[in-house]
Amino acid sequence: MTASNRSRFLAQGNVYLPHIMVIEKIIDETPGVRTFHFNFKDEKLRDEFSFESGQFGEYSVFGVGEATFCISSSPTRRDHLEFTLQRVGKVTNALHRLGVGAEIGFRGPYGNSFPLDLLQGKNLVFVGGGIGLAPLRSLIWNVLDNRDKYNDIHIIYGARSPADLCFKYDLDAWGNNETVNMVTTVDRGDESWKGREGFVPQVLEQVAPSAENAIAIVCGPPIMIRFTFPVLEKLGFRPEQMVTTLEKRMKCGIGKCGRCNIGNIYVCRDGPVFTYAQIKSFISSEY
Amino acid sequence: MNHKKINKKDLGNLLHQWSKDYTIFVPSNEGDTAQMGLWDGSDTGFLDWYRNTAKPPKANFLPPVEEMFRFQKGKEGHSIKLPSQEHQQLIFGIRPCDGRSLAILDNIFTDAYQDPYYLPRREGAVLVGLGCLKPYDTCFCTSLGISPGESNDVDLMLTDTGDEFLIEEISDKGKQLMELTAGLEDATEDDTARASEAKGKAHDKVTRKIDTQHLSHKLLSTFEDETYWEKVAAKCIACGICTFLCPTCHCFDISDEMVKKEGARFRCWDSCAFPLYTKMPMENPREEKWQRVRQKVCHKFEFYPMAFDVIACTGCGRCIRLCPVNWDICQTLGQLPG
Repeated sequence: MTASNRSRFLAQGNVYLPHIMVIEKIIDETPGVRTFHFNFKDEKLRDEFSFESGQFGEYSVFGVGEATFCISSSPTRRDHLEFTLQRVGKVTNALHRLGVGAEIGFRGPYGNSFPLDLLQGKNLVFVGGGIGLAPLRSLIWNVLDNRDKYNDIHIIYGARSPADLCFKYDLDAWGNNETVNMVTTVDRGDESWKGREGFVPQVLEQVAPSAENAIAIVCGPPIMIRFTFPVLEKLGFRPEQMVTTLEKRMKCGIGKCGRCNIGNIYVCRDGPVFTYAQIKSFISSEY
Repeated sequence: MNHKKINKKDLGNLLHQWSKDYTIFVPSNEGDTAQMGLWDGSDTGFLDWYRNTAKPPKANFLPPVEEMFRFQKGKEGHSIKLPSQEHQQLIFGIRPCDGRSLAILDNIFTDAYQDPYYLPRREGAVLVGLGCLKPYDTCFCTSLGISPGESNDVDLMLTDTGDEFLIEEISDKGKQLMELTAGLEDATEDDTARASEAKGKAHDKVTRKIDTQHLSHKLLSTFEDETYWEKVAAKCIACGICTFLCPTCHCFDISDEMVKKEGARFRCWDSCAFPLYTKMPMENPREEKWQRVRQKVCHKFEFYPMAFDVIACTGCGRCIRLCPVNWDICQTLGQLPG
């Protein structure tokens, strides 16, 4: 789970200097969540840049500051990059005020990535909640673009309400893909909702994908992750068959500023992708 | 080896000579704001009061606030400009504990990614150590493998032998500087003997001790002992001064300032003592004060050694001496159960 391209791209010069990026498209996912399609202003860098699913970057609005988000697009689709964010603080509010054509700063990719070599030939169970689908969809498209390398695919995704479902265009695409078992759920539906209701961990238990030759990849709010792991264990998944990404407050993204340190782990440097087996071995339960 | 020596009253001349190639920093601001400050070109009065600075010399390499770069918004979009190269520093009078702290900090700033601000300053700097013959009663450097009169972490090492300083070359950089330095006398065997005696006496003056031998094991087994950490953290007021003044604490924040169409990105010291340090929109892994005190202690004595094989503490005692509520790291470590 190492980022092979980690130092190659950024070793050239000052690691804290952002690249200037241009926003090419904005998609309103939910009332508070937006996806930005963006690209390097310097066209030379578009070909040089590479990343892996699960990696993150530091995004900035000049004059406001930097914030950390994963790259939510797939490395198999190189036309542009995407990131998805919820409007919660100073930087995310400033990002939400930007329009197409605006410039932002970007540095990355940082961190490790989803273990594609471990996933190949396996049955994959993707479990996502809310905006937690952002890192997961990078991997899902990555897998679907190389469909023959993987076995059965389950995607179980949920949000609080129908209005909180992110990436509805992806949910439709995956739902229409005959090689994917797609289940969408909401905690509570509304009058027009005809789909499933129930929390993600409960729905996972009902769908009950087999643990045999399988890997579960879980991304979502911490509370969902905490309730999902026990369900997976009940279904026969061992901790090393469960993969997730951890989210911590970060500033530098490169293991120096200190704040994502839990036990002897720096989430930015050693993660953000961990197996549940690794997480269980952490000295600290502050994850 | 042939050592050199210089009469104390000629120190000004020596510094003046070095100031042609280096920007000279000396102990400045006697009192609670003492730091390695810019030398005024003549004053060596610090020799009368200097024991150690309150602000550690890490500030000369990782400044409390530093401009990382400037940006400007023009017709063609944003442009970025790096700050100009700084002059090379010569820090005069650094204590062995603080010399070690920089060697400890080098680990984090070279790990995985090279830090483009800290490292050039380090590479360009000359450290002139000054043996610490009057350690404070809060000092416990000898428990961390440091002797107050000796250092291998500096370039030149000076020892007070009465009216003179004995000068020892420690590194190649120090040796090169000595070759270019005029007006020094050769030290006699008698000078070296007096310096050795002073070093030995200084070592014995450090009476405060911590036991580092079983520390790692004890910290691991106490990690989840909330009662212990709550007790330890009870009187802490989470002011963060122990982390700001710690010579090995290196946590920082990054933020922007902008006026009209011009701005800059800064980094400034931050501290694990503050709840905001780790706060996320939905939750905070270290909301409670005891969790943050535990983090500070364990990061220095458990996690940093796991990563870099060295304890991130030099026993300089600043966190004890300058704590407003007399919180004592030695007590915390000494009373660990298990």
